[in-house]
Amino acid sequence: MRPDRDPALLPGTPLYVHVPFCVAKCHYCDFYSFAAETGDSSGFVDLLLREASTRAADHPRTVFVGGGTPTWLPAAELRALFDGLEELTGFRSSAEEVSVECNPESLDEAKAELLLELGVNRFSIGFQSLRPELLELFGRVHQVEQSFDAFQAARSAGAEEISVDMIYASPGEKLETWESDLSQVLELEPNHLSAYNLTFEEGTAFEQWRRTGALIPQVEDLELQFFWRTREILEEAGYSPYEISNFSLNGQHCEHNLNYWENGSYSGLGPSAVGKVGHRRMGNPRSYGKWAERIRAGESPIHEWEETLAPLDRLGETWWLGLRTKTGIDPARARAVAAVDVFEDPCERIAKGLLEHGLLVHRDGCWRLSDTGLPLADAVARQFLTPGSGREDSDADRTEGSSSCSTAEN
Amino acid sequence: MDPKHIRNFSIIAHIDHGKSTLADRMLEVTGSVEKRDMRAQILDDMELERERGITIKARAVTIFHEYKGEKYQLNLIDTPGHVDFHYEVEKSLQACEGALLLVDAAQGVAAQTVANAYLAVEGDLAIVPVLNKLDLVHARPDEVAQEIETSIGIDATDALPVSAKTGMGVKEVLDAVIERMPAPDGDPEAPLQALIFDAVYDEFRGIIVYLRVVAGTIAKGDKIVMMGSGKVFDAVEVGAFRPKMTKTGVLSAGEVGYFISNIKALGDVKVGDTMTHSKGPEVEMLPGYREPTHMVYADFYPTAAGDFESLREALETLCLSDSSLCFEPVTSDALGFGFRCGFLGLLHMEIVQQRLEREHDMDMIQTAPTVTYMIELANGTQQEIHSPGQLPEPDKFEKLLEPIARVTILIPDEYVGVMMQICNDHRGIYVRQEYLSETRVQLTYDVPLAEIIYDFYDKLKSSTRGYGTLNYELTGFKQDELVKLRILVNRDEVDALSSIIHKDQAEVRGRGVIKKLRKEIPRHMFEVPLQAAVGSRIIARESIAALRKDVTAKCYGGDISRKRKLLEKQKAGKRRMRQIGSVEIPQKAFLSVLGSTADSKPSGKSGGK
Repeated sequence: MRPDRDPALLPGTPLYVHVPFCVAKCHYCDFYSFAAETGDSSGFVDLLLREASTRAADHPRTVFVGGGTPTWLPAAELRALFDGLEELTGFRSSAEEVSVECNPESLDEAKAELLLELGVNRFSIGFQSLRPELLELFGRVHQVEQSFDAFQAARSAGAEEISVDMIYASPGEKLETWESDLSQVLELEPNHLSAYNLTFEEGTAFEQWRRTGALIPQVEDLELQFFWRTREILEEAGYSPYEISNFSLNGQHCEHNLNYWENGSYSGLGPSAVGKVGHRRMGNPRSYGKWAERIRAGESPIHEWEETLAPLDRLGETWWLGLRTKTGIDPARARAVAAVDVFEDPCERIAKGLLEHGLLVHRDGCWRLSDTGLPLADAVARQFLTPGSGREDSDADRTEGSSSCSTAEN
Repeated sequence: MDPKHIRNFSIIAHIDHGKSTLADRMLEVTGSVEKRDMRAQILDDMELERERGITIKARAVTIFHEYKGEKYQLNLIDTPGHVDFHYEVEKSLQACEGALLLVDAAQGVAAQTVANAYLAVEGDLAIVPVLNKLDLVHARPDEVAQEIETSIGIDATDALPVSAKTGMGVKEVLDAVIERMPAPDGDPEAPLQALIFDAVYDEFRGIIVYLRVVAGTIAKGDKIVMMGSGKVFDAVEVGAFRPKMTKTGVLSAGEVGYFISNIKALGDVKVGDTMTHSKGPEVEMLPGYREPTHMVYADFYPTAAGDFESLREALETLCLSDSSLCFEPVTSDALGFGFRCGFLGLLHMEIVQQRLEREHDMDMIQTAPTVTYMIELANGTQQEIHSPGQLPEPDKFEKLLEPIARVTILIPDEYVGVMMQICNDHRGIYVRQEYLSETRVQLTYDVPLAEIIYDFYDKLKSSTRGYGTLNYELTGFKQDELVKLRILVNRDEVDALSSIIHKDQAEVRGRGVIKKLRKEIPRHMFEVPLQAAVGSRIIARESIAALRKDVTAKCYGGDISRKRKLLEKQKAGKRRMRQIGSVEIPQKAFLSVLGSTADSKPSGKSGGK
């Protein structure tokens, strides 16, 4: 291990890489990304590898390259990125899962072959919708057919694990058309599926349109119908709903993402990326220019905010994150993750109260959301926040609200 | 100063009739205040007063005026105009020899003006009628002068015409104060007798005592005894209000001013007490003040249980400058430890609540206000009931009595019909009707006080387009068919939401309360039934449907911190909520149960100063 790295960054720690470039910014997207022209990314890989040299752990268990649109990068840059990461971390021999987010317009067979050659073994393709009018509303640059083409390209190139991203309950969308779209996607037999209820995030065009009344969200009851029908259809097809919006066939869930819900550690590289080392979480500038400048200037740290939660806050966070998963939460494991003594643990008491209202179930020593609790995951989550919770080190939390996003299959 | 050159006076006026504007003009024309210090309503120095445009606490200010070549000291003791502050008015008047009776020449005599003028008459004060707003085209001075004569029974033929707005007639008013009001008759050489008519707490200087020297002289350095408490203090500073506190070193018979002695213990000063020299000859105590009648009770509970002691301290501090407020500790199953407070009326209650929040940074929940009921036991003894929770089971007492107020309403005659209807709807009993002038009518009814604090005032205002005015005084207790309306949230009785009401109103009120709660209590993760009951009989029910969907679609590594902050923010929004069983009830829900009054600010209302 190199001496300039955080000693708490243990070998094997999962690695996230954020590629912010896109052909165009989607109207619902609040991840840090921007429309870029050819050549805009020159220097990016070099900077990212410089960041990796101080912040990526040796032999990561999982690697996830997200964005933005990683496949937007030209072949040579992708090669430089993965070869460079291999040189610094040795991920090709250690990582059981190496995921890359792909958009249909920038994934052809040649690129898929290249990615497989570079060590990628999981493709996550952003279909989002099979409706041309919705793709247009979303501001997506691809056509419906391109999604199928991209999927087939990945399969033909030899990809064994392919995931598809879909969005439902969009304004005006009918439940029946969504059901048939979902079935059509299932005919491709993806190994994994992420199906998200559309959300109107602060700062997006969608949110602005919602405020002005140009876009009207679906009513709650209909959203619920979408939610449950999606689960029914996917479960009937053999997909396990292992998280609120994630479904896997034959246990092929995304290990990298499961680590987030287990409140594990991870490194985050690239603008806006967030990392968690021990109990400390830190976030990079949500600006390409700032991020690049810090690395060029050799500034340390590169991240611009960090926070360390008090023990009970970490415990609560571990609970509500874990409750998003089908496995649920093992109280003893949660205490171990948060380093809290059993006598100080209020969470089981809270859980019992929620059990009485039928929101949680308790089986085999684990707590899970019930069918009633599942669509109320956030309301349940709030119960686990420590009242008047505060940071142990509030000074470190330098830029409130700049923490946003990065990871994920978007 | 020679008492012959001193006049102590108040201005009696209805809200909005221009009292503070007239006071401002007086300060201006006599040069008592620098132009640069002049701001509208200089007397109302409490933040709340300026904001709401009402005078809550009596204030004093000294004005120097030249009359026939001689310099006079005029001490204006400001009085609140609102019916709730009747008691404060009485305190102010006791420090005066005269009063200006200020009436809006367009609007005419208002009920509270009459009530306050009676106080002045009872106190043998010289009353000088002043007709204000003569600049208005629809002013009707002759008719209003007639109203003054009929309603108050004083001669108004020489009422002074004034426009406080333009300054017209203000100098003549000052002259009239000197000509038509007697000088104080105290002897500066006699043993000291000074009446404490107010007190405020200053963080740095301790308690500031407002006093009127009735006889003798008080000087800096004197040893002073509070005759009521027997406590002795050194006069560290003695001064007058010009209008800011100004050291004078001495105050003699007839003068009004302040006294500072680093008094920190709030119990050491009692408004109404008499001050004299500790080593001087014995003097008699001045009459002081009668105990105020608390018409309305409500409980305050700190939002955080740990704030109980701070709330007690805050209430003690308020009591110093507001002797009409009383409080005692109370416990509620639903709300924990708090204080039951007694108020003069609804506006008083609201003012106290806001002062606690603003000046003392208290975060509290307040229960619905209730009047004092009386139960009569089988053995004939009577017992006061200050909250519905105190009411025993029906078989444990013989009679339940409620306080009755004699209500005087002044209205233009076109509203007599509608006003009578309102009185009937509020269980009022007709007493009499009199014409004050050709178009102004005085209606007198006996109305249960509980009806008045509910929504009577709002109804009066709205159905007379604001022209109706109201005054009331307690006359006694009367038995009626009263029941306890119980409110159950998620099957738990919430004592703070229960009320004592007339049997015939139980169903309507119960339904109203439930409806409001349904609007104010947010959806929970489970269905919340709401019920209103009398005894075990459910008379109204509704339920709050369970929240069905509240879930974030995406939560990955980069989202977690932001997501947590969002959840915390949502949770913080529930800070002003009370956990009753497993239901969170927002403070607003408690307040909304006050009835229509809660939405439209019962009495803080219609401006005025």
